[in-house]
Amino acid sequence: MPKNLLFLMGVVFSYGIIDNGPMKKKVLVVEDEEGLRLLYEEELKAEGYEVITAKNGKEAIHQLEAGKPDLIVLDIVMPVMDGIEALGRILGKDRKIPIILNTSYTGYQQDFMSWAADAYLTKSSDLSELKDKVKELLEKGKTG
Amino acid sequence: MKVLAMVLAGGRGERLYPLTRDRAKPAVTFGGIYRIIDFTLSNCINSDIRRIYVLTQYRSISLHRHIQFGWSILSAPLGEFIEIIPAQQRIDEHWYQGTADALFQNIYTLQEGMPDLVLILSGDHIYKMDYRKMVASHLEKGADLTVAAIRTGREHSREFGVIEVDRDWRIIGFDEKPEEPKTIPGDPEGILASMGVYVFNMELLVKRLIEDARADSSHDFGRDIIPSMIGKDRVFAFDFRQGDRGGTKYWRDVGTIDAYYDANMDLISVTPQLNLYDAEWPILTYQPPYPPAKTVWAEEARMGTALNSIVSNGCIISGGSVKRSILSPNVMIHSHAEIEDSILLEGVDIGRYGKIRRTIVDKEVRIPQGMEIGYNLNEDARRFTVTASGIVVVPKGIRL
Repeated sequence: MPKNLLFLMGVVFSYGIIDNGPMKKKVLVVEDEEGLRLLYEEELKAEGYEVITAKNGKEAIHQLEAGKPDLIVLDIVMPVMDGIEALGRILGKDRKIPIILNTSYTGYQQDFMSWAADAYLTKSSDLSELKDKVKELLEKGKTG
Repeated sequence: MKVLAMVLAGGRGERLYPLTRDRAKPAVTFGGIYRIIDFTLSNCINSDIRRIYVLTQYRSISLHRHIQFGWSILSAPLGEFIEIIPAQQRIDEHWYQGTADALFQNIYTLQEGMPDLVLILSGDHIYKMDYRKMVASHLEKGADLTVAAIRTGREHSREFGVIEVDRDWRIIGFDEKPEEPKTIPGDPEGILASMGVYVFNMELLVKRLIEDARADSSHDFGRDIIPSMIGKDRVFAFDFRQGDRGGTKYWRDVGTIDAYYDANMDLISVTPQLNLYDAEWPILTYQPPYPPAKTVWAEEARMGTALNSIVSNGCIISGGSVKRSILSPNVMIHSHAEIEDSILLEGVDIGRYGKIRRTIVDKEVRIPQGMEIGYNLNEDARRFTVTASGIVVVPKGIRL
């Protein structure tokens, strides 16, 4: 009996906090490198987000319209369409959506369009900065 | 100090309809041979600003042609240019949503040029101004943004962005077309009106454009960008009187047909407020290579005359009379025709015994023999635009 109750509590708990159905926030991860894309997807899912992905800027624009994400994590150096160009076009369609530029390069900060992103992060094996930023920007969107 | 000029030439000029039916407002003919944008571009060249972008969108073919023909005068190898940038929809798939959006959509251009200062101008206004004096004031005050301001009466507040300044001319308020305007300190009847001329520090401009682009906004400099900067950035006004090349405080928006008509008619007065004869401040334009103007027939019953008028190259006044009027190039006035208080644009042909009074006739229109316009406004209003003050406009392309 106590075991069952514990299970039930666990269901209620997880239902209330993590798996809250339509309230779940959706993150679009745009990353050309497959390994990284999977890693971000897994890690952000573990944080309780729904995750959709795109391999380049062009796919990202498609996913923006098809998947209606709440936030975008955007790589810059990608084939087909890079993140800087995609950023401009994304804002042309949805000027409010929070965007995190996530790149291995710091030089793109001199690119004016990169100033339009809500955050500019340098890729790291430690994903805590990225997770914190995602959380912070989604919280901000909730209150604002 | 690297200064880049961005001329906003996308204005539709809807209140100038039908003159703006086929062309953007900056491309509308003024003073016989000029286009409205010539004044702003001439101000740039005369102020030694030789890196100029012209941002266009609506009905821009006429404007592109004029700039291509008349303004290919700078030296690319010396880093000088007048370059037209049509709306490219590079970021957004829509037309420019406002003056600030036009700049935001072109931040790639600022990125390429990397100027220190950006001079933002409108291609819609007629005035003579030394922008160097405004840039000097901007630097002297350590400003982030300087807005050119002209003094006018408070009764005009509904037509302008009205600037409120403190004693140092720092801007402390900006209201777009207010009913109850803030007046000039020490002058309760005067207001400072924004001329739509801005000097920005480039990096700050980019930041403010991006903030505006991501906000709920009408994306307009006067409505959104400037108010958002007051109290946050160093925003100053610049008194037009300090940069006014003509010394007559002449600045016209020519936003309506009546204002356009009046501004043209000023030029035929003995001493116009707008001086086109300042050799040190030439107003450049493009003129097709027509032969000089000419009058023929000097018989008592058939005399070709032009009095108190501007007559451009290529015109032939052949046995008709022209009084208090402005003739653009290549206008033909046939025998016994009478033209009074009118503006005839390029290539107009007035047939024998035609009588035209207080009328603007657009390009290439042929007025048939014996037709009268401007004498019976009720009749005219059935075919043409007639303004509140009784000016008739005969549109381009009409077949009479």
